[in-house]
Amino acid sequence: MPSVGTLAFDEFGRPVLILRGQESKKRLFGIEAHKSHILAGKAVADTLKTSLGPRGMDKCMVSPDGDITITNDGATILSMMHVENEIGKLLVQLSKSQDDEIGDGTTGVVVLAGALLEQAEALLDKGIHPIRIADGYELAAKVALDHLDKIAESYPLDLKNLDPLVNTAMTTLGSKIINRCQRQMAEIAVNAIMNVVDMERRDVNFELIKVQGKVGGRLEDTMLVKGVVVDKTFAHPQMPKEVRNAKIAILTCPFEPPKPKTKHKLDITNVEDYKKLREYEKEKFTEMIKSIKDAGANLVICQWGFDDEANHLLLSQELPAVRWVGGPEIELIAIATGGRIVPRFQELTADKLGFAGHVYELDFGTTSEHMLCIEQCKKSNTCTIFVRGGNKMVVEEAKRALHDALCVVRNLVRDNRIVYGGGACEISCAIEVAKEANKIATIEQYAIRAFADALESVPLALAENSGYSPIKTVADVKSAQIAQNNPSLGIDCLNTGTNDMKSQLVIETLIGKRQQISLATQLVRMILKIDDIRLPGESEE
Amino acid sequence: MKPMIVILKDGTDSNQGKNQVVSNISACLAVSEAIRTTLGPRGMDKLIVDNRGTATISNDGATILKLLEIIHPAARTLVDIAKSQDAEVGDGTTSVVLITAEILKNAKSFIEDGMHPTIIIRAIRKATALTIKKIKEVAVTIKSDDDKEQRVLLEKCARTTLSSKLIARQREFFAKMVVDAVLMLDELLPLNMIGVKKVTGGSLEESRLVSGVAFKKTFSYAGFEMQQKKYTNPKIAILNIELELKAERDNAEVRLDNVVEYQKIVDAEWSILYDKLDTLHKAGVTVVLSKLPIGDVATQYFADRDMFCAGRVQEDDLKRTQKACGGAIITTVENLNNQSQQVLGTCEIFEEIQIGSERYNCFTGCPKAKTATMILRGGAEQFIDEVERSLHDAIMIVRRAVKNDSIVAGGGAIEMALSRHLREYSRTIPGKEQLILAAYAKAFEVIPRQLCENAGFDATNILNKLRQKHAENNIWFGVDIMHEDVTDNFIAAVWEPAVVKINAITAASEAACLILSVDETIKVPKSAAETSNAAKAMNMG
Repeated sequence: MPSVGTLAFDEFGRPVLILRGQESKKRLFGIEAHKSHILAGKAVADTLKTSLGPRGMDKCMVSPDGDITITNDGATILSMMHVENEIGKLLVQLSKSQDDEIGDGTTGVVVLAGALLEQAEALLDKGIHPIRIADGYELAAKVALDHLDKIAESYPLDLKNLDPLVNTAMTTLGSKIINRCQRQMAEIAVNAIMNVVDMERRDVNFELIKVQGKVGGRLEDTMLVKGVVVDKTFAHPQMPKEVRNAKIAILTCPFEPPKPKTKHKLDITNVEDYKKLREYEKEKFTEMIKSIKDAGANLVICQWGFDDEANHLLLSQELPAVRWVGGPEIELIAIATGGRIVPRFQELTADKLGFAGHVYELDFGTTSEHMLCIEQCKKSNTCTIFVRGGNKMVVEEAKRALHDALCVVRNLVRDNRIVYGGGACEISCAIEVAKEANKIATIEQYAIRAFADALESVPLALAENSGYSPIKTVADVKSAQIAQNNPSLGIDCLNTGTNDMKSQLVIETLIGKRQQISLATQLVRMILKIDDIRLPGESEE
Repeated sequence: MKPMIVILKDGTDSNQGKNQVVSNISACLAVSEAIRTTLGPRGMDKLIVDNRGTATISNDGATILKLLEIIHPAARTLVDIAKSQDAEVGDGTTSVVLITAEILKNAKSFIEDGMHPTIIIRAIRKATALTIKKIKEVAVTIKSDDDKEQRVLLEKCARTTLSSKLIARQREFFAKMVVDAVLMLDELLPLNMIGVKKVTGGSLEESRLVSGVAFKKTFSYAGFEMQQKKYTNPKIAILNIELELKAERDNAEVRLDNVVEYQKIVDAEWSILYDKLDTLHKAGVTVVLSKLPIGDVATQYFADRDMFCAGRVQEDDLKRTQKACGGAIITTVENLNNQSQQVLGTCEIFEEIQIGSERYNCFTGCPKAKTATMILRGGAEQFIDEVERSLHDAIMIVRRAVKNDSIVAGGGAIEMALSRHLREYSRTIPGKEQLILAAYAKAFEVIPRQLCENAGFDATNILNKLRQKHAENNIWFGVDIMHEDVTDNFIAAVWEPAVVKINAITAASEAACLILSVDETIKVPKSAAETSNAAKAMNMG
C-alpha cells in the first residue's frame, strides 16, 4: 500500500488509525515525489514555452462563464489556467511575483524554472542528492548573476532624448499582439512614464497612470491623454460639451436634500406640512447650487448621483455637471487639477476648486458613446492611456502589453543598467557558468553544468518559436559569442540578418533578468527539497 | 495482511496490557517516521495539503505534525511535545520527536521481554537527570560582556538553526538580520515586538529589517492620495473610534413631525463627526491610525489639513505601534486637548514606502519600546511562509542565547558525548537499570545517524568514526555534512544553546515515560456514524 499514509499495526495485525482520514489520504514519498513534481513543473513550463519571444504564439483561454481571453503574457495565462497541482501552483505564483516586481519576463522565468527541473531529473537519475543539486544551482545562479553584472551596460537616461527608452519598451512589446504599432505604443508608454516620473527619488507612481480601454476604432487610435479620462458624460444632454478654463468643484456628497443616517420617520399630517417639506427641499437645492456658484466653480464633478430636478436646476444655472464618477477617478481628478475633494457643501470654498484648461466630451464614431477628457490640468502629472481596438480581446491584451512596457520603462528609471535580449545574455551566462563548473571539485559540479544547460532553454525556445532549427542556431550563436567575445549576440528572431542585439536594439533591464534567475533558482530549490507529499483524499460522500 | 478478527462490538473500544503499550509505541514510531527525513542541513521538506486545499511546505517538525491531523491518542503526545518545544525554545522540534521515538523503540524490546514499564520509567528518569547534569558540565559559557563577542556567538547560533532550512544558502544574511532584530529589543526580549511582514516578489536578499513598525497600507477612500506621505516627528493618535458618518445607534429611530427638526437632525449627525475630527486636528495630531474604519469624509478632512490617516489597521500592528511610539489607544476624543498630549505617540520619521507592489506605512526611530519589523521578500507565497517559520526558529534561538550564554556543539556532537557518558556510567551500576541506561544512551545516536542518512552518507561508518573520536575524549566531534566526514563542530561553529538540548531531552524523556506508563486506552465513540466509519476503515486496512 504505497500510496496510503503512515500505517502501523498492532499485535493482531489490525491497522491502527493514527491520522485523521488516513485511509483516504494520498502520500508520495522519496524519489517518486521528486519525479512527480518535476513532471508537473515541466508540464506547466511546456504550456508557456511557445509564447516566448516575438514569434511566440498566443493562448486562448475560456473561463467557466464563457469569457474569452487571448494573451501571451505568462502571468495572465497561468493565472487563468486554474492549475490544480500543488507544484503547478508554485509556478503560477512564481510568474505572478515576477509580474508584481518587474512586470515583464513572466514567461521567461517559468521556462527557466521548467528547464532547471528537467535538468534536475537527469541528475536525480544519476543518484545525486536533491539538496546537493539545489546547492549547485545556487552556486551557479551566483556565478550567472555576477556575470550579468559584468556584461550589463549603463544606459543613457535622458529626459530630452527618449529614443533609447522607446527602444527598450519596443523589445517588450515585440512579443505582444500589438507589435503592429509597436513604435507608437512604446512612445506612449515612455511618454506616460516621463510625465509622472519623480527623477529625484527615481521612482514612478503607477497610480498616476491610468490605462483605459474602449472597444472600437483601430489600435493606432490609441492615445495618451495628459490628464484624466472618465467614462462618463455630462449629466444633461443640453449642457455644453466643452468647458474651457474649468474651475472644478469635486464633490463626494449627493446632490439631494440631506438625509440623516439614523433611521427616521417624518410624520406629515397635513397639506401645509407637506408644502413646507417641498419648500425645504427646493430651498436646499438652491442653497447647494448657490454655494457652488459662490465658490466660483463652473464645472461640478460629483461622486454620487442627482435626480432630474437637480439636473434641471444645474442646467438652468449653466453649471455643467458630471455624476456617478467613481472614487479612484475622483481622486485622480483631484490630484490632477489640484483641487480638494469636498465632502460637504458647507466646506466648499474657492481655494478648494481644481483647475483644468480644457474639459471636453470625446465622441466615438457612429456609436453614441462619449467619454469625458480633462486636460491641461494645473498639476498635470497624471495621465491616461486610452486604448482602442477592434474587439474586447485586443483591447484587453493591449492593456496588458502596455502594462508590461510601462513596467520596463519604470525599471529603467530605477536602475538604468541593461543587458541584451534575444537570448544573448542567457547564452553568455551559460558559457560563463559552464566555465566555472569545471573548477568545482565536488558533486555540485554536475548541477552547475546542468544549470548552464538550463539557461540555454530560453534561446532554444526563442529559436524554435521563430522557426529555426533550435540546436543549430543556438550552437552557432554560442560559438560566435565565444569567438568574438561579444555577449550581445543573440537569436535573430525577426530574421533581420544580424545576430547582434546591440544593433537590433533588443534590450532588457538588468534587474528583470537578475530577478528571473534568482526567483527561478529559489523556486527550484524549494521544489527539490520536498520529498514527501500528503494530499487529502476524495472527501467521503 | 493478516486476517482480521473482530473482537469488539460496536461501542467502547478498550485495549489493555502489554500489547497496548507495544501498540502505542508502534504508533509513535510511525509518526516519527514521517518527520525523520527533515532533520539536518540535508533534510527534506514536506508538502502537506489540507482538506481545504491549502498547501504548506515545511521542514519544521512542529508544523508538520500539527498539519498531519494525528488522532491516535498516544501519538498525539508526540505532537504535544513538539509543540511545547516550539513554544519553549522554538527550535529542535524534529529532534525532540526523534529522540522520543528512539527511546521508545529501545524500550520496546524490554517490554516485550516482560520487564515492567515502571522499572523502565524509573531508569529513564535517572538517565535524564544524568544527561542534564552532563550537558551543564560540558557546555561552554561565552562571556557576554563584550558586545562584539556576544554578537558573533548569536550569529553562529542563528546560522546553525537556519542551516537546515530552505534559506540555508542565505543563512549569513538572515542570521545577521535576526540578531539585529533581537538586539533591538529591550531587556525582556518580547517576541511580539518583532513583526514579520511578507511581500511576494523580489529575491530573498531584498528582505529587510525596519527598526520600528511597518504595516501594509490599509484600504483607503478617495482623498487618501492627497495626503502627505512623510512626516518628521509626527504626533500619532491611535484610535479605536469609527470616523465615519453613520447611524449612531443601529436600532434607533428618530420620529419627526416637522421639517425644521429634520434639518437639525442632519446637522447633529454631521457635527458628531466633525467635532471628533476638529478635536483631533486641534490637538495637533498629524497621523491618525484607527482600528475601525475611517470614512471618506474623514479622509478628505484630514487631507485638507495635511494630516495622514489609516483606518482598519490590524490590531497587533496597532498595538505594536502604540508600544513603540508611546501614547495610548484612545477610545474617545472627548478629553483630547493641548493638555493631554501624553496620549499621543510620536516617532522620528513616519513615511509611506513602496515595497514591491505593496505600499507600507513605516514608523522609524520610535522612542518608547524597542521594536523591529522584518519585511520578507521571495518568490512564492509558500516560500515566504516557510521563510517566516525558519526565521521564527532563529529568533527564538537567539533570544534564548541572549539570556543564556552557554552553548554546545551541534551536528550530533553533543548527543554522541552524552551517549558515551551514559554508557560508561551504566557499566558502574548493577541490575536491570544498566540495560536501560545503555539503551537510553543508544537512543541519542539517532541524531547523528539520521543526519548521515538524510545526507546520503554511510551512517554506520560515520558513527563508528564518531564513537572512536569520542572515546578519545574529543567531545565536540560531530558529523561534517559538507565533506562526508567527522569534524570538531565547536571549531566549525555549529553551535546551539545548551538550553535547547536540555529542554529537548527533558521533554523527550517525559513523553517517553508517559507513553510507557499507559497500559490501557478506553475510547468512547463519539457517535454511531463515526464508529461505523472506523470499522469500515479497519476492514479496509
